[in-house]
Amino acid sequence: MITVAPEVSAQSDSLKLDLANLTPEQTALEIKNLDLYYGDKQALTDVSMKIPKGQVTAFIGPSGCGKSTLLRCINRMNDLVDICRIEGEILLQGQNIYDKSVDVAALRRNVGMVFQRPNPFPKSIYENVVYGLRLQGIKDKRKLDEVVEKSLRGAALWEEVKDRLHDSAFGLSGGQQQRLVIARSIAIEPEVLLLDEPTSALDPISTLVIEELINDLKNKYTVVIVTHNMQQAARVSDQTAFMYMGELIEYADTNTLFTTPAKKQTEDYITGRYG
Amino acid sequence: MEHNLSKHISGNFNQELENVRNHVLAMGGLVEQQLNSALDAVNDGNAELAKKVEHEDYKVNAMEVSIDEECTRIIAKRQPAASDLRLVVAIAKTIADLERIGDEARRIAKVALESTAKDQQGLLGNIDNMGRHVSSMLHDVLDAFARMDAEAAFKVHKEDAKVDREYEALTRQIMTYMMEDPRSIPKVMDLVWSVRSLERIGDRCQNIAEYVIYFVKGKDIRHISQEDIERDILN
Repeated sequence: MITVAPEVSAQSDSLKLDLANLTPEQTALEIKNLDLYYGDKQALTDVSMKIPKGQVTAFIGPSGCGKSTLLRCINRMNDLVDICRIEGEILLQGQNIYDKSVDVAALRRNVGMVFQRPNPFPKSIYENVVYGLRLQGIKDKRKLDEVVEKSLRGAALWEEVKDRLHDSAFGLSGGQQQRLVIARSIAIEPEVLLLDEPTSALDPISTLVIEELINDLKNKYTVVIVTHNMQQAARVSDQTAFMYMGELIEYADTNTLFTTPAKKQTEDYITGRYG
Repeated sequence: MEHNLSKHISGNFNQELENVRNHVLAMGGLVEQQLNSALDAVNDGNAELAKKVEHEDYKVNAMEVSIDEECTRIIAKRQPAASDLRLVVAIAKTIADLERIGDEARRIAKVALESTAKDQQGLLGNIDNMGRHVSSMLHDVLDAFARMDAEAAFKVHKEDAKVDREYEALTRQIMTYMMEDPRSIPKVMDLVWSVRSLERIGDRCQNIAEYVIYFVKGKDIRHISQEDIERDILN
């Protein structure tokens, strides 16, 4: 009955995880019944999902659907918003990051974040990369040099800047600045890297360079990306979550979600129809 | 899930999908007409009609090329996803099969260019029956495509088994004929080829039915038994 060549089916099986039943070893993050309110307004409603380790997971959805809010919950950026109230849990390595005992600074070392607009510090390229390490009190020059090269290589920027490491970071192009910010994030070796529309301020070629980089990063890190660009989600991610009005509508492997979505709302959104 | 080509935010995209779909239906109509004309020509020994079928085949070919180009353009410009993507892929495959059905019709028409002996008339009648059956399959599958009806497509899918049986029966009949009168073999060979062509058209209609089901249900049903299709996919 089945005539699919065995190697073909083996390959697609290895890529396809059972997202609802990930084992603890496969799971980087688990979001459990998360509700979030800005004042009286509920921005996230009962979001539950498991994000697999060492893969790229994309959040897509129309403006205001809660995807950036959800991303920011993962390293507690919403703590900075006074009127924000959160119920539910996010487990990182089995520990709830909203537990009172959690040190937020330590959490953010484990969960790095890159924003829409590149935000290098007004310092040299070198100092930008080692910023996190200096905060940790590391002074060994050899160690710092090593981390700079490794991080810049990891962010696919080394070849372009190796001769001007001590020039100001503001002399770089937008795309280079964004890669510098990624280098700064990975210098402290986080487990999870959050990318909030990392290419929306970049030109198409820089965008492709970053996308290529995301693909390389996933071997070492768990990457979660929010993007307005659906084709980008389709290109870079292994899993895609579609959100609408604060709810997680559909969460599936990217190949399935973009060819045969299960929900009509997802279908309408990714094909560009009115909901 | 309900399928609606329109309602894209981009009206141009709606129009492009609608156009390409209409072109496929027009191509299907032309191929159906070619097949029926070929069958008429053989049945009536109408050489003129047969020549017309041969000549008109270029139109089918040209339509395949132009629809293929439309599909490529839509993929490049619109990056279709989900049902839109499945539609474009299904169309690209459907037109390839339609073009081949057009070629088979042309091959069948050739039989009418040869003179047939009186005693072969019975055989021709049986071939005509099989031909009408295949032609109705083509008609039904195009109809299923137009209405995006997976159930109707599945009916056509099942019909192919009957065509295969007719093919076997006719082949046996022709062999008997050859054994009885070996001198007739050169002439009868043409009939063998045309019966073979009809059988292939049945297979191609079955393929198109598979593409319709793929588009509507999002499931690839190739190489799956009909019981499994009925149980797992259509319900």
